[in-house]
Amino acid sequence: MNFKDIRVLYWREIRSALRDRTIVTNSILLPILLYPTIMWLVYTGITFVSGQNEELKSRIMLKEIPAAHEILKKEFEGDKSIVLVHSPDPAADLRNATLDAIVEFVPPKSIQATDNDFATRISYDESRDASNRARSRAGQKISRYRENYLERQALKLGLTRAQFQNFSIDERDVSTGREVSAFVIVLPIFFIIMLAVGGMHPAIDSTAGERENSTWETVMTTATSRANVLVAKYLYVATMSFTAGFLNLFAMIFCMGTLLAPLFGNNSSLRIPIQSSPVVLIGAVLLALFVAAGMMILASFARNYKEGQSMISPFYIALIVPVMFLQTPGLEFTPRIALIPVANVMMMIRDAFQGVYHWRSIGITLAVETACVVLALRVAMLVIQHEDFMMGSYSGGFGKFVKERWATKRHKDHKNPL
Amino acid sequence: MHAPVVVRNLRKIFYDEGRGEVKAVDSVSFECNEGEVFGLLGANGAGKTTTLRMLSTILTPTSGTATIMGHDVVSSAQGVRKNLGFYSATTALYPRLTTRETIDFFARINQYPADLVEQRVEYLIDRFGLAKYADARIEKLSSGMKQKVSVARTIAHNPSILIFDEPTVGLDVLNALDVQETISELRSEGKTIIFSTHIMSEAQRLCDRIAIIHGGHILACDTLAGLRDTTQQHYLEDIFVLYVKAGQETV
Repeated sequence: MNFKDIRVLYWREIRSALRDRTIVTNSILLPILLYPTIMWLVYTGITFVSGQNEELKSRIMLKEIPAAHEILKKEFEGDKSIVLVHSPDPAADLRNATLDAIVEFVPPKSIQATDNDFATRISYDESRDASNRARSRAGQKISRYRENYLERQALKLGLTRAQFQNFSIDERDVSTGREVSAFVIVLPIFFIIMLAVGGMHPAIDSTAGERENSTWETVMTTATSRANVLVAKYLYVATMSFTAGFLNLFAMIFCMGTLLAPLFGNNSSLRIPIQSSPVVLIGAVLLALFVAAGMMILASFARNYKEGQSMISPFYIALIVPVMFLQTPGLEFTPRIALIPVANVMMMIRDAFQGVYHWRSIGITLAVETACVVLALRVAMLVIQHEDFMMGSYSGGFGKFVKERWATKRHKDHKNPL
Repeated sequence: MHAPVVVRNLRKIFYDEGRGEVKAVDSVSFECNEGEVFGLLGANGAGKTTTLRMLSTILTPTSGTATIMGHDVVSSAQGVRKNLGFYSATTALYPRLTTRETIDFFARINQYPADLVEQRVEYLIDRFGLAKYADARIEKLSSGMKQKVSVARTIAHNPSILIFDEPTVGLDVLNALDVQETISELRSEGKTIIFSTHIMSEAQRLCDRIAIIHGGHILACDTLAGLRDTTQQHYLEDIFVLYVKAGQETV
């Protein structure tokens, strides 16, 4: 292996890639801009919807309000978000959506109730947002009125506010900031998706793309070994994959720290601990090497860009499937899970974000991922020894290729048993 | 002293799903002398490109031997490629590199002395009149300019042997004449050139010796004068047809 040649070939690949719109968009711009854009869209959407809701007026009918509770009626009348309406058949109007809620006074259920005691009933239509909103607004108003009413009654009986409210709830959160962060679980999922997206186009561009542009044969006639050419291409794809993952992670951490954290009262759980960096970095490198190897093996069977995309798609989906493991609540990063490629790195990174390090599982993960990378490279080295593959004259995918070569080998072994 | 290019009984058999074994090249032998243009004249599918691909180490021969400047195409493939410039319609340029970057890349990767690369790049840019387009991306150049850059990248590392596989295919008359002129210049610089074509006038104009290839076999190999003497025909087209028909009858 000649590192000088690999360097020349590698920089040629990188230079070309950085001038390609698709690669720059998918491997650099998308990972950086995805999260700020999503967050901006989500918050704009939430603000817009809540603003719309605030402007909508609730049509409420007050039915049979006793004279003793005229104050409540006045409070309803004073609320700009409520319109009091009168209907001869309120139940029908509620069903027809021309009325949002009916508030009526009903006799108290308790037999010890006095004349001044009261009970209210709110009729609404659960299936309509406007009706639900009207119920909520009316409910809040009545609750507030009830509290004031009870306080007044207590004072009349000579009770202070403290004596009157002798039952209270005091809440205390004993969890650490890290444990409550659901955002931390989402990070590794997007991370693996971005690693795959970042490596996909470079993998196709450096293999099928070269065949389509007829530059494959040009590079095959240069005075360097084919192994050097492939190593340079492999490192290039791995670099682009890693870059996409890293930029994405950086963008997410930035968004959480600067956009989300202030919204959640500067919650420290939305910030990634710096101590997790080495574990995250190692995981990212291994995953990028694995993704690059897998994608390049598949894409190199394609003769044009389109074929390359369809050949890589199953691998892309196969990468995403292990990510689903993370969705299982309470799933722990055990040595057994560390044996599952891709999912193990995800779990390792997820735990590292939360400041948790299962060293035994981390060790197994590194060994498994390294083995996967070595295996993939070994397969690649075996495949490039076949002339029809190298020349692009072979028609078919990786599966067909392996099956055919296996059958040919068996046929030869059968003919020449010695 | 060995000839720069020596080919002995070169064979290439492909396996095709529909046709079974296909002998693309069958026992081809020839030698090229220093500073000559050796023409491979044949119709489409005659075996020209397969022969040249074996010489450039892209394909491995099924049997036979070939050496380029003493390097065997199988056992010393990198040595062969270091001494060889290969140009064909299937060796395109990287569209997103500039002219300067392209020549620089091919000079470096083909082991041209690193400290002389910059000088070599400027010389080639000047020689092919590419100064105006030196920093333009290849994808932005016209076909004629691309072809000039292609020739420049082929000789970027100053190889002794050059292979031009149907270099004028798809070019207009003026650009085709440009290529022919460049090949003549390279010959006068002492380069050994193997030139494949199916255009008789090109072979007639450029080649010092011509090998007529058909069905994977070399049917004749001589100077144009020698071929005329042997066949008693004046025009290369008639000579070619005569040999091909005789070859078919033999088959």
